[in-house]
Amino acid sequence: MATSLLEEKLLSGEFVVTTEIGPPKGADVSGVIHHIDVLKDMVDGINVTDHQSSVMRYPSLGACLLIKERGGEPVLQITCRDRNRLALQAEVLFAYSRGIQNILCLTGDSVDVGDHKDAKPVFDLDSVQLLRMIRTMESGVDMAGNQLAGAPKCCIGASVHPEADFMEAQLVKFDKKVEAGAQFFQTQGVFDLAAFRRFMQYASQFDVKILAGFIVLSSAGMARYMNSSVPGITVPQELVDELAAVEKGKGLAKGVEIAARFIRTIREEGLCHGVHIMAVGNESVVPELLAAAELVGVHR
Amino acid sequence: MIVAEQKPLEDIIRMVRPYKKVLLLGCGTCTTVCNAGGETEVAFLHDALRMAEARAADGRREYSEATLKRQCDPEFLEHLTERVEGVDAVVSLACGTGVQALAERFADLPVFPGVNTSFIGMAVEWGVWDERCAACGDCRLEDTGGICPITRCTKGILNGPCAGPKNGHCEVSPDMECAWLLIYRRLERLGQLERMRRYYPPRNFRPISRPRRIVGKAGLEARGSHGDVTA
Amino acid sequence: MNTVAVRVRRTPLSEHTVTPPCQVACPLHMDIREYVDLAAQGRIMEAMQVIRSGNPFPSICAYICAHPCEEACRRGQVDKPVAIRALKRFALEFGGDRMIEVEAETTRSERVAVVGSGPAGLACAYYLRKLGYPVTVFEAHSEVGGMLRVGIPRYRLPREVLDVEITRLTKMGVEIRTGTRVVSLDLVFDLGYRAVFLTVGAHQSLRMGIEGEDGAGVVDGATLLRELNLGLTPALGERVAVVGGGNVAMDAARSAVRLGVPQVSVLYRRTRAEMPADPREVEQALEEGIEFQYLVAPVRVRTREGRPEVTCVRMELGEPDQSGRRRPVPIAGSEFTERYDTLVTAIGQAPQVPDDFHVRIGRGSTIQVDPVTLSTNRAGVFAGGDAVTGPSTVVEALAAGRTAAGRIDDYLNHRYPLAPSASEAEWMGDLLPETVATIRTTGRLEPPVLSREERTAGFAPVEMAYDCQTATNEARRCLRCGLGAAIVAPDRCASCLTCVRVCPYHVPYADAEGAIHIPFDQCQACGICVGECPAGVIALRKAGELGQVDEELDHVLGSATRVTSKPMIVGFCCQYGVYGTGTLAGLWRGVKAGVWIVPVRCVTKVETGHLLRAFEMGAEGVFVAGCGEQCARENTGHWMRQRVAKVKRVLAQLGLQPERLEAFMWGENTHDPTEVLDEFAARVGGFYLDSVLLQEVKR
Repeated sequence: MATSLLEEKLLSGEFVVTTEIGPPKGADVSGVIHHIDVLKDMVDGINVTDHQSSVMRYPSLGACLLIKERGGEPVLQITCRDRNRLALQAEVLFAYSRGIQNILCLTGDSVDVGDHKDAKPVFDLDSVQLLRMIRTMESGVDMAGNQLAGAPKCCIGASVHPEADFMEAQLVKFDKKVEAGAQFFQTQGVFDLAAFRRFMQYASQFDVKILAGFIVLSSAGMARYMNSSVPGITVPQELVDELAAVEKGKGLAKGVEIAARFIRTIREEGLCHGVHIMAVGNESVVPELLAAAELVGVHR
Repeated sequence: MIVAEQKPLEDIIRMVRPYKKVLLLGCGTCTTVCNAGGETEVAFLHDALRMAEARAADGRREYSEATLKRQCDPEFLEHLTERVEGVDAVVSLACGTGVQALAERFADLPVFPGVNTSFIGMAVEWGVWDERCAACGDCRLEDTGGICPITRCTKGILNGPCAGPKNGHCEVSPDMECAWLLIYRRLERLGQLERMRRYYPPRNFRPISRPRRIVGKAGLEARGSHGDVTA
Repeated sequence: MNTVAVRVRRTPLSEHTVTPPCQVACPLHMDIREYVDLAAQGRIMEAMQVIRSGNPFPSICAYICAHPCEEACRRGQVDKPVAIRALKRFALEFGGDRMIEVEAETTRSERVAVVGSGPAGLACAYYLRKLGYPVTVFEAHSEVGGMLRVGIPRYRLPREVLDVEITRLTKMGVEIRTGTRVVSLDLVFDLGYRAVFLTVGAHQSLRMGIEGEDGAGVVDGATLLRELNLGLTPALGERVAVVGGGNVAMDAARSAVRLGVPQVSVLYRRTRAEMPADPREVEQALEEGIEFQYLVAPVRVRTREGRPEVTCVRMELGEPDQSGRRRPVPIAGSEFTERYDTLVTAIGQAPQVPDDFHVRIGRGSTIQVDPVTLSTNRAGVFAGGDAVTGPSTVVEALAAGRTAAGRIDDYLNHRYPLAPSASEAEWMGDLLPETVATIRTTGRLEPPVLSREERTAGFAPVEMAYDCQTATNEARRCLRCGLGAAIVAPDRCASCLTCVRVCPYHVPYADAEGAIHIPFDQCQACGICVGECPAGVIALRKAGELGQVDEELDHVLGSATRVTSKPMIVGFCCQYGVYGTGTLAGLWRGVKAGVWIVPVRCVTKVETGHLLRAFEMGAEGVFVAGCGEQCARENTGHWMRQRVAKVKRVLAQLGLQPERLEAFMWGENTHDPTEVLDEFAARVGGFYLDSVLLQEVKR
């Protein structure tokens, strides 16, 4: 019996599609509810980011609850930046109690890159420790060894950067996450299929599901911004140029075209187990992307 | 050593405003080495304060200067008993420890910090000091090839790297090398990569709950760095 | 206005000074380092005063001294020694030494006789006169000066120079009786003199000891030079050979050239490397066309048609003899014969002391004396100069004369003559190769000399004096040995390693125990570490350096605040270069009202505290002007700029415009330096007006 619908889909061998939404900066959740409604039947799981890029937002857990209410499959992203191990364990207990069992374990971006630069960075745990924390809790005890009255059961995942410039060190980390019990990985944005293939050559030895991440770019300016200011993301020059070449207003369409191109190739070659679409603010364009990538109707 | 940086002049001016006779006290050890509070800096601060007063109209202070070998040892502070007579405030250019030692010894004298004590670090070249040690009380440099992930990784994680580095530099700044990439290379060079492949459980933050104490002498209950009572 | 006299430098002095090698090597122990430094700053009059205080006849040495100081000069370990003698001449000529009068009055009754008016005798007379004694100098010749007059040719020492010194001496009250040969010391004592200084020199030429030496056309060098210098013009013919390798041989050969002899040769029994003559003399002799034959010595002279026919034998060098030089050994069967018109022998001289003097004579016919008291075996009779040492240098003779004066004074006052205590001078080691590698080599600037044609046309002085710029540049090559930095309070040194890191010459080091050492042998006295030390425990060794900038600043600010022309601008100007008080600043002070110059010996002496103090005392603008690329030390401009940047930050925190403080370094501006300073003054004027208006508005 699979822990969650997502886990079931992951284990089925079919092509998995997930996407993510970013909660609002404020208490007005009408926009995010609208996105949830649009997307919930088109994908196998919707991630909610946790103060992505260290910008303070409506909590991931809150939006996951909304997804659950509206009938979608949530994936809770938890970072280690803001909370210590007590708060993190409590979060998992609560999420589980509300039927939110897919958890993506992340270390989290640094406080410095966000909009509350004076905040105290916590980082009591890192992503590997967080994965193990959940597995420990699943065994019925908390991190201090105390018995839990009601143990959670989760489908846990982590992230990986298949195009990092120093891959050896990233792979050491990847190994540790696999050993820690990660079942699936949603990668950072893939832009170079050759590099991704090399990564998959290594990763396919493990019994984990890899979902290739794709960022929908909307303009050359956005690509450049990501290169200079967003941790871990490097958009190659050819793509920047391809975006720069289109006329004003057509950037997003071009971004969709590019992402669709990649996704179709991945699927055709069976390179990995699925994709994770990151629309980064342009969530409305996801249906169009799915269509262009011939992923409509593949799902529930 | 302890690295500190002199506070902005306006802060010091504000601190001493209510007082009439102020002693500027330097430290002959750490703050001399990092050029923040030694004898020469005390003299320079004195000159600047005098000039600031001449330009403002809020009354004159009388300053005196002294520099002790260290301010963090009671024996050295004893030499001040005469110096502080008649003085109604002291600006100490020692690190936070010195300031507090001074305040404790001369409980009736307002003591103000003239520097921001910043970190434990070293000079990488003249005039440039980098943090190196967080005084975490749980040193793990054996496993990281002598490179501290607590100070040099901006997130202080133990199972690094994260996904942030670009061109070998931390997401926070292109001037800061990713500590974990440095650790990887160092361990590789030493043939000790196994150490990095190990899982490191979450840190024990108990040693850092403040204030910490280390007892070197026998006879008292000795506490190890994990707070356990050792034999 | 804050009139608190606050010293910026709070560290105590370093009393430990080290005597530089030049001063140790000089027989008169002159303060060479000081006068070279003064010359480097263009302070000629003061340089001249320093020279005069150490040497009774500085102009004479300026022309002909054998400069043992230059041989000891450590600059020679980098490239070439500093041209000390030429700099001395520059200082004296431009300083107007010939105008100086020396006063003396008679305070003692004991009369002292000096036998011989050579440099030793004249020096002894000078110092005895200054001590208040009535002195009479007896000179057998008609002219005064000894070897200075009859030995050294006019093209090396012009007669006017010698005469000026002698006139000065007579004006001091020294009685000089020429044409008076002393034949008996008993007579001298009978005449009422209480002490005698015997300094008859060494004028008797040594004989070669070969057959035919007394034949026609053979003359000894000393006689030849004497005749020349006393006004005669000996006929030497067309071909002249001079035997010998010392200065007398060179003098004779070069004089022969000037007399118009077309072919002059020097025959020397060893090689050029072993010649005792001054290398410059040899060089100039070669330039003048004199032919040198090495490893050659005459063995026989025959007279042919009234002229000498000289047979020489070739030599090779064998084992060293007692002088340490390899002994020349004749090569059998290598004889050859040449005809000359005149053969001049100049293989050495010895003193000629009459038996009637009853003084003990030793080896080489020299008078034997107690090395400490310079006294002979006769009470009251002292001796010195060539008569005691054999042929030596003028400066040695001057030193002997000075010592003798002191000893005679001891004798006449029945003082116990103490031996001088072992020199407390710390000896300086050599520069380490690592230090030498950090010093910029510039090459020595030689003083200008006449061209060969001009020289050989007559007996005009060969060497001319430097011009100001060249003299300054040459003087700046001095390494300031012994003036270096010292840690004056080691207990306060935090071993912060700042001095180790900032020194451009890598001199300070930390030992195994963590203590810092600044070896004085290697330090170039640039002053950078002095200003950068965070504990303020480093000072340069010369007492006069400390507090100098403070005093100058106090003095300037004291005067400036009394003058009302505003705005007041204070400029710290390096004395060594173009901004020095000798040149630009002089113009400035006159032209621009309100600009006050604080002269510093290099911008490294200006510390952050000095800059701030100038503002505190009311300066509206402050600048530092230095030599930049021309600085004789490395990195000085860089550190000066660091300090200026730091003070600018504080000015901003005080609410003053950082542009009120600027640094100007020579070599970077393509403009005229006055233009740059003009712009600065205008800017400061603008700030001043703004602040005045602001005050008005506030009221």
